[in-house]
Amino acid sequence: MTSSPAPTLTTAARAVAATKIYGSGDTEVRALDAIDVDFERGRFTAIMGPSGSGKSTLMHCMAGLDTVTEGQVIIGDTDLTSLSEKDLTLLRRDHVGFVFQAYNLVPTLTAIENVTLPMDLAGAKGDAAWIDEVVGATGLADRVKHRPSELSGGQQQRVAVARALAGKPQIIFADEPTGNVDSNTAGEILSFMRNAVTEMGQTIVMVTHDPVAASYADRVVFLVDGKIVDELLEPTPATIRDHMTRLGA
Amino acid sequence: MLRLALKSVLAHKLRFAFTAAAIVVGVAFVVAAFVTADSLRSTFDDLAADINTGNDFTVRGALPFGDVTEATPAPVPDSLLDDIRSVEGVDAAEGGFFVDGVIPVDGLGETPATLGGPIAGSNWTVDETLSQYFLISGEWPRGISEFAMDVVTFADYDFELGRSYEVVTPTGPRTFTLTGTMQFGFPENAGIGAVFSVFDTATAQEVLGFDGLFNEIVVRADAGADIPTVRDRIAAVLPVGTEVITADEAAEEFGDAFETFIGPFQTILLVFAFVVLFVSAFIISNTFNIVLGQRVRELSLLRALGATPRQVRRSVLIESLVIGATASAVGLGLGMLGALGLGALFDAFGAALPDGPLPLRPRTVAWAFAVGVGFTVLASLVPAVKASRVSPVAGLQAGDGDDGGHLRLWRLAAGAVLAAAGLVLMGRGLFADFDSTTAQLVSLSSGAAVVFVAVAVLSPLIAGPVVAALARPLPRLLRTPGRLARDNAARSPRRTAATAVALTIGLALVAMVLVLGESLKDTFSDNLTDSVAADYIISVNSISGVPKTLAQDLRDAGAGTVVGLDEDLVQISSLAAPDRIEQTEATVTDLATVEEVANLGIIESSLSALGPASGLLVHIDKADEWGLSIGDQVEFGLVSGETLTVAVGAVFAEVQPPFWDEWVIDESLYQPTLAADAFEQWVAVKTAGAEPGATRALLEQVLSAYPQANLEDRQQFQESAESNLNTVLALVNVFLLFALVVALVGIVNTLTLSVFERTREIGLLRAVGMTRRQLRRTIRWEAAAIALYGAIVGVVLGLAFGVALAAAIPDEIVDRVSVPTAQLVGLLALAVAFGLLAAVFPSYRAARMNVLDAIAGD
Repeated sequence: MTSSPAPTLTTAARAVAATKIYGSGDTEVRALDAIDVDFERGRFTAIMGPSGSGKSTLMHCMAGLDTVTEGQVIIGDTDLTSLSEKDLTLLRRDHVGFVFQAYNLVPTLTAIENVTLPMDLAGAKGDAAWIDEVVGATGLADRVKHRPSELSGGQQQRVAVARALAGKPQIIFADEPTGNVDSNTAGEILSFMRNAVTEMGQTIVMVTHDPVAASYADRVVFLVDGKIVDELLEPTPATIRDHMTRLGA
Repeated sequence: MLRLALKSVLAHKLRFAFTAAAIVVGVAFVVAAFVTADSLRSTFDDLAADINTGNDFTVRGALPFGDVTEATPAPVPDSLLDDIRSVEGVDAAEGGFFVDGVIPVDGLGETPATLGGPIAGSNWTVDETLSQYFLISGEWPRGISEFAMDVVTFADYDFELGRSYEVVTPTGPRTFTLTGTMQFGFPENAGIGAVFSVFDTATAQEVLGFDGLFNEIVVRADAGADIPTVRDRIAAVLPVGTEVITADEAAEEFGDAFETFIGPFQTILLVFAFVVLFVSAFIISNTFNIVLGQRVRELSLLRALGATPRQVRRSVLIESLVIGATASAVGLGLGMLGALGLGALFDAFGAALPDGPLPLRPRTVAWAFAVGVGFTVLASLVPAVKASRVSPVAGLQAGDGDDGGHLRLWRLAAGAVLAAAGLVLMGRGLFADFDSTTAQLVSLSSGAAVVFVAVAVLSPLIAGPVVAALARPLPRLLRTPGRLARDNAARSPRRTAATAVALTIGLALVAMVLVLGESLKDTFSDNLTDSVAADYIISVNSISGVPKTLAQDLRDAGAGTVVGLDEDLVQISSLAAPDRIEQTEATVTDLATVEEVANLGIIESSLSALGPASGLLVHIDKADEWGLSIGDQVEFGLVSGETLTVAVGAVFAEVQPPFWDEWVIDESLYQPTLAADAFEQWVAVKTAGAEPGATRALLEQVLSAYPQANLEDRQQFQESAESNLNTVLALVNVFLLFALVVALVGIVNTLTLSVFERTREIGLLRAVGMTRRQLRRTIRWEAAAIALYGAIVGVVLGLAFGVALAAAIPDEIVDRVSVPTAQLVGLLALAVAFGLLAAVFPSYRAARMNVLDAIAGD
């Protein structure tokens, strides 16, 4: 899969000298070490790296789920480091979409209710036509009244992606979205995400350790020991594996 | 397995604390009940010992029936004193008095009040150990114009030494100079809730109306004399109708007299304690169920590693044993504090208990641990068995969801059987004949307990849809948080039902008490309207009553028809049927005028036709029971030892007025033998058509000479009776509140554990933008929905219980069902408030959860 040229390459999210330190003194761990990275609007970016490389920490800090020790994280033109816990919550609700590896849906809500959950929490109506389009794109239009327990794993993940898309966020973060499903299902999910970027113009950042999954992205950023060590545009599974081997991962 | 169980307890301190909290409250209640009752016992035992040190015998009139708690023995002639003093082995003897209804009026015109304790007149003697009064300040009174009073009343009211005060005595109001203050028992004794006015012996004899008589004679033997020998010698000089008792017998009698009050008091407190423990058992069972559900993984690992089901079961039971024992220890400490609180509570409701030490007897400790450990282990039996059935390869299916199909059927059948059994037990308690009230109450309350268990079994079948229906407005009112609150409350019906059942029990009892109370009040008020024709009722706060002179004074002042009503202990036997005999209170009044103040519904005769020998009225129920009809003769035995024979002159059918007994005898037949007996309990006045306001002024003027009398018109009479009832109901409900507090702990437990279980879901919600505030709101209203469900079931059940009880109680007392709708609705609102309160801690914890940790899970 090749990437189509992005219409504009303005920045959706950015980290400037982002540093995350756990512990102190002898036990100090630098999970992120002065990272500078931009995620352009309308592109699909994958973050890869070996275990403990800081890829999940980077995502959490970028998404406002965690805070950096030093440096800045900016989404759109909002500096996250200046926000209170409440404002961070509202920012996540209104401007960020999430897809987790598992447990993405509230079990008591139907699929469509899960999709509209962030805007319901905001008390906002949402763009009905857009939501229809997103739900249509999941291929689950006839199952929206079902509860998560009545959907397959892949279907659940597609609903999660739809939820992330529904609020037209500045950026969507996906943390190993295919980590829990078989390869066929993973393909469905990734195609759907790819489509969201290509056809719908959305911005997705995905953390993964799977070269095949990463190959759906426009760009792969490689992290080792909390630093960005490499970058690959228009990746294929083979080129990704090649890079990873060179990085000793 | 023991070490594993202990480790498990220690590893989950919070969970442990929650489980224990419910049982702590119940144990504390049991301990407080015992300690308070023991404290009362030791106070009165000490007092009895104090009073009887220094004297060895009491000589007094012998009661032909009844005991000294019910009636005052006849006095003895004062000439007996010299006879006793001359008995060989007697060191000293003095005449003594103790007469109720001697009331000092303070400088502001106020009269001291007690809560049922005597306001008594007595005498001091030079030999202080014989009278047991100790001078605290000033001088002992000497002569006809001096008196001393107890130091507690002196301090509480406006009195000064050396000044003159009016004292109302059985021989009318008199003026005395206050010469000193004294104390009863031992000098360091605190007040015992009585008021004393003390005179010298000759003055007491005159003003108390005991010409030539003493209440009793107290005697001290020579040092070293043989008590039984001296007693026999004294007995030999006593006339018929008098007796001598030793100090030990007197002390025992005194203790027994108070036990008749302390025993039931302790029983009532223990009943409330068991209600609380019963509720706790549900909470503990539910908590164990949830916790073990969450530990399936751990349990199945144990099983996989080779633990037998028996070992798993035992480890759970050991865990519950440890929790029960710890909770009992904490409850023991809390109960001691609770005993202090109980004193304050009774104080607040106007029934002060005497101060005393708080004795912790071994029996109390044994009970605390027995009920604490017992209830905890009992409540963990079912969860323990369930835990032992976890298979070694148990799925990780967490939680405690809905039942499967055949389980629902099983539940329905078990619930139905239990409900039927409970209803049968209750019905038997309500309507069958019982030998004793205790047996009846046991049948009734065990029936109610079984019904509650049935409700707990059946409740999960309806909890889901009912809770969802109750919470229907929430999504509209609170949007997504409301929606989630509703769904969460309805999502595990078993858990919701188990949580709600504690509140159900508490509120069912409260609702039942409210319904009964309201029915009682309405019946009373209607009976009053029907049966009382008097415009005013004068009553007295002291035991003895108002002097009979009051009625005559009122008549003389032109107040209208004035009827005095006295009540005396008598022994009545039927001459026609010798096996019919009873000791009871009988009303003594003037049958010629009584119909003007009371509508008796006389049948089979008319009062005007009564002759002097047939001046006895009997209620129709008693007449039927005894097979009495007009003209049948009945013998009245009096406390003085006299008997009189009288024929039934009429039967009355109307519900008895509150100041009315089943037997009513004409006062002309029943002349008191003593001036001190010249009291009556009530005076009823029917005004002579004059303007009521003017009559009231007139009555008040006459009553100014009787400061102990309390004037009420019909309205006030009804209101004060209702307010007494309200006080009792409020006290009962305060105790039931403890059951509600346990229910509250139960909701906190369940919610905290549910929040813990939903960690990932909460993390997800927070990640996609639920604010802390929204999250707290979700949990709060989930709790409110569960509480409201429990409350509705409880109120419905309580209403049913109340209706059944109202039907079973005789019509004289309750003849209808009145539903206090506003109060019942208030209970529902209270339950919602309880739910919201219970959610404070769990919602705080949920909101403080770290989002990243929550998403990561486990």
